[in-house]
Formats: sequence, structure tokens, C-alpha cells
Amino acid sequence: MTVASYLFVAACLFGIGLYGLLQRRSLVAMLIALELMLAAVSINVVALTTLAGRDGSLGQVVALILVGVAASEAAIALSLFVAIHRARHNIDVEQLSELTG
Amino acid sequence: MVFAGSAAMALFGALLAVGLKNIFHNILGFALAMLGVAGVFLSLGSDFLAAVFVLVYVGAVAIAMVYAVMLSYPLDLPQRRRSVPKIAAAALLAAIVTGALWLVVRRAPWPPPLGAPDDVAPAQTGYRFLTDYVLAFELISVLLVVAMMGAVMVARRTREGGSGR
Repeated sequence: MTVASYLFVAACLFGIGLYGLLQRRSLVAMLIALELMLAAVSINVVALTTLAGRDGSLGQVVALILVGVAASEAAIALSLFVAIHRARHNIDVEQLSELTG
Repeated sequence: MVFAGSAAMALFGALLAVGLKNIFHNILGFALAMLGVAGVFLSLGSDFLAAVFVLVYVGAVAIAMVYAVMLSYPLDLPQRRRSVPKIAAAALLAAIVTGALWLVVRRAPWPPPLGAPDDVAPAQTGYRFLTDYVLAFELISVLLVVAMMGAVMVARRTREGGSGR
């Protein structure tokens, strides 16, 4: 498999995630879309370091750090959603508009 | 072969995760997409990373998201309609970004494929983590602890029963 085919798949995944992030209204659905985009980035890093680079373990290191960051991001985001829901009884982003100028 | 199957699974799961209305179906699609991404890593010879993806994303993140389903808007109540221009704008922007990425990938002079990628030994990755990238390794540990404590602090109720502060 060529590098380009992996990058094409990652670009598609990133585009689907971006569409979901822009289009969905529920914060949980937006978090799912964000995680899809991060997974696309991980595919890019690993494919480039294994197929086009000389050192595959470097890509593994970067991808594992990405997994850690994504996991902690999901933990914080979900707890924030719980707090927002407790205060507003709603996690619809179009309803959370107090700071709109 | 592994690559084609798992890539199709990842993209199909991503479409389910984004396209369906029911948030629970979205989470199942997300889990399917992450299994597909793990398959892509398998086809790259990164067995350990594939296992980590299944454990962390399918096993932990997707399960945590299922708890958040309780917060989402009930499906049996009437839904407010999404305005079509907003959906079209989102689709257009995503298509432009994807198209630009494709263009860059097509134009770039990639080196010829070296054949099937060698398996990356987990031992080598661990060695790197404890030598060259030990700072990143320690930082990610600190980040995970801080994120866990922060999540508990943000989400907990105060003893008086008011909103958590």
C-alpha cells in the first residue's frame, strides 16, 4: 500500500469529522466528531513514519501521546457536559448563547 | 486487503457516527470507526497501537460517552428542524478542507512504497519513551492525573446540593 492511500483515508475521516463538528448541535455528538478528527491525525502520523520515514517507533510514540491527550480531553469534556447539563438542563449548543455579543 | 477492509469499516463507522440522529447509534458508529482505525494500524504493522486504540477508544471513551447519552435531548419529543443553509455550509466547508487535503496528497512527491511495512516492536517504542521522549512520557502522566482530578471536580455536586463549583 502506498503512503497516499493511507493519507486519502485519513483525509476522508478528517472531513467527516469536520462536517459532524460543524453540523451537530449536541455537545456529545460534537465530541465524537472531534475524536474522529484526532484519529485521522494519528493515521497520518503512523502511516508517514512507517512507510515514508525510517523510524516506525517515532510514529508510535507520537500516536500514543495523541491517544493520551484525546482520552484526557474526552474525560474533561464529558464532565463539563454534565456540569452544563446540571446548570441548564440542556447540552444543545444553540441554546448556550449567553456570551453571544 | 486488511487495509481496504478496515479503511472501509472506519469510513462507514464515521458516517454512522456523524449522520444518524440517535446519539446512541452515533456512539456505536464511533466504536465501529475506531475498530476500523485499529485495523488500519494493524495493516501498518503497529500491533501495539491497534490494541491501545481498541482498549482506550472502544473500551473507555465510547463507554464514557454512553453515560452522557442521559444528557441528550429526548428523541420522542418533537425535534427542532435544522436549517438547511447551515447544513449545506457545514458540508461545503468540510468538502473544501477534504478536497484541499486530497490535492496536497496528490501533488506531493511520495517515496515509492517499501513493500509491506515491518512490524514495529513494542519494546522499541517503550525504549524510546524512556530515553529520548521521557519528558513527553512524564508530561502525559501528569496530564492524565490532572484531567482525571479536574473531571471529578467539575462534575461533582457540592455537599449543599447546589450546582458544582
